Amino acid sequence: MAEQFNRALGLAGTRIVDSVGSFLPGALVFLSLLLVALVLAVLIRSGLRRGLKTLEFDRRVDAWGMSVSEWTPSGSAASLVASIAYWTVLVLGLLLGLTALDAALPTQFAVSVLQYVPHLLAALVILVIGNLAARFLARAVLIGAVNLGVQYARLFSVGVKWLVLIVAAAMALDHIGIGRTVLLLAFAITFGGVVLAIALAVGLGARDVVARALSRQLRAPADDKLDHV
Amino acid sequence: MSEPATGGAVVAGLITYQDAATVGSVARAVRAGLAAHFAGLPTRMLIVDAGSTDRTVALAREALGAEADVVEVATPRSAADLLEVPYHGVPGKARALHALLSTARDLTARACVVFDGGVRTVTPAWVASLAQPVVDGRVDYVAPFFARHPYEGALTKGVVYPLIRALYGVRLRQPAAAEFACSTALAGHWLRHDLWARHGARAGIDIWLAAAAAAGDFRVAEASLGVRAHHARGEEGLDLASTIAQVIGALFADVEKNARFWQRSQSRATERLGSPVVAVPTDPPAIDPDRLVEAFRLGYQELRDIWTWVLPPRTIVDLKKLLELSAREFRLDDELWARVIYDFAIGYRMRPVARDHLLRSLVPLYSGWLASYVGQVHDLGPEAADLRVEALAQAFENQKAYLIARWRWPERLRVG
Repeated sequence: MAEQFNRALGLAGTRIVDSVGSFLPGALVFLSLLLVALVLAVLIRSGLRRGLKTLEFDRRVDAWGMSVSEWTPSGSAASLVASIAYWTVLVLGLLLGLTALDAALPTQFAVSVLQYVPHLLAALVILVIGNLAARFLARAVLIGAVNLGVQYARLFSVGVKWLVLIVAAAMALDHIGIGRTVLLLAFAITFGGVVLAIALAVGLGARDVVARALSRQLRAPADDKLDHV
Repeated sequence: MSEPATGGAVVAGLITYQDAATVGSVARAVRAGLAAHFAGLPTRMLIVDAGSTDRTVALAREALGAEADVVEVATPRSAADLLEVPYHGVPGKARALHALLSTARDLTARACVVFDGGVRTVTPAWVASLAQPVVDGRVDYVAPFFARHPYEGALTKGVVYPLIRALYGVRLRQPAAAEFACSTALAGHWLRHDLWARHGARAGIDIWLAAAAAAGDFRVAEASLGVRAHHARGEEGLDLASTIAQVIGALFADVEKNARFWQRSQSRATERLGSPVVAVPTDPPAIDPDRLVEAFRLGYQELRDIWTWVLPPRTIVDLKKLLELSAREFRLDDELWARVIYDFAIGYRMRPVARDHLLRSLVPLYSGWLASYVGQVHDLGPEAADLRVEALAQAFENQKAYLIARWRWPERLRVG
């Protein structure tokens, strides 16, 4: 009896030692990867802060009309970008580390997240480009409308900005596969509805009023026969 | 600057583009001018077409006859020319001018005089007025001065002339004109210059040539030619914002390029040749100052946020004060206008917003200035109106130190 107990105890101990022995290298690799990721993240954050400061990134971002004061307490776009890079590297390090542990569930999770990262990055790029395009077009429409003497120039400008932002957001969400069908339908219904409403308003209800308003509004301020040059 | 090429011919070049209606009369007038005023000298006529699709070249050839001194210079039309109509209406003008000047240099011309094939009022006397001072070796560059109604050429009077005068030191009142005469030395200088490859050469080449002559320390003069009338080539459809973006953009690009020169340049003599013609068209162009002031107010209301990127707070406050004035009382101070233009030039260099946006946002400010200018000259004669423009140009000279200070330390003065 005692002999059997001792043998079972020995076997259990061997199993525990074997398990710890097989887990320990993975854990060490996990910690090493985490440490490397941490060092890398700190270096990238510091490098980005310095590089972007040299490039006057904050001033340029402000000039592009992309204020980040609502997103970060420091109000600095360079700090925000550096922080995003820091946390991205850290999380990637963590996920890579999890695969080293050789545990089925965390590994599966890490692999699926890692596979998702390119889509997330592409969506982020779409959002950033959409934001830039929206601000640029909004400003172009505002200046063009003011130069045409349109009193509601700001309204047109804001409308264009939100239209482009919504399209960019829809594209980004579609890219990462969130609410694909619902989003497409909602966008098509809303956009089509707005266009139909405007068409009906102009075509049926307010044709004369719109014609008068356009002829009054679209006379350029310096619409003369003057040769300016 | 240089001795005249004593042995060379007097070269007259016609830059043409869709000018079937006018090129014949221009060619005959230039031919007659060469025959009447330079009979003892060898002469050459160059036809440089910028890509006409009508009978322009054939008609020019027909008008000049089968003389041996006629040279046709081919300049193929570029696809890029189709993208934008320049304010002067000749899309391939930079290439055409380059080809013309290259040919004149190769011929070691004594003088090269350039005409626009679309002008209806060219006379033989224009050839002598432009080319004679160069043939005599007195000057290297002769720009024209055309008699115009005080309202006409307002952008040139309100920005281009005062800025060129203040920064380059020469008093060329119409530096964007298509007609000019130059020496071989100056043609060679231009051809060695990098201005042909610069972005915006399609529209800005005339201004850049005048500026390069001034910055190259060549002797410049201005010849009074009379009235200039030209036929439209499609540029009449160009809106004011595009015109301003092209003209002021070209000017600011040159200011940026020549910053080292103009920070040290001094005002110098510009000989004025011929008697000023006072018989200007009497019918004033239709301008409504109320609408111009309204455009200024709308611009202040909606574009102030963009202006604050380039204009200091003090200037914004000064502009705000104008909002309360009626069109009759509306006066934009010359020194304030000069500072606004200088601040926009700095903004063009620093790019706080897209350059095209910045230039187009200038339109309401220009409308305000135009309303003020029209209010001041509407009951003045041409000479008194000219004096008004001279006073404005003096204000640009007075404010040059402001430009230099902000150009050197733009960030320091940004919030000042």
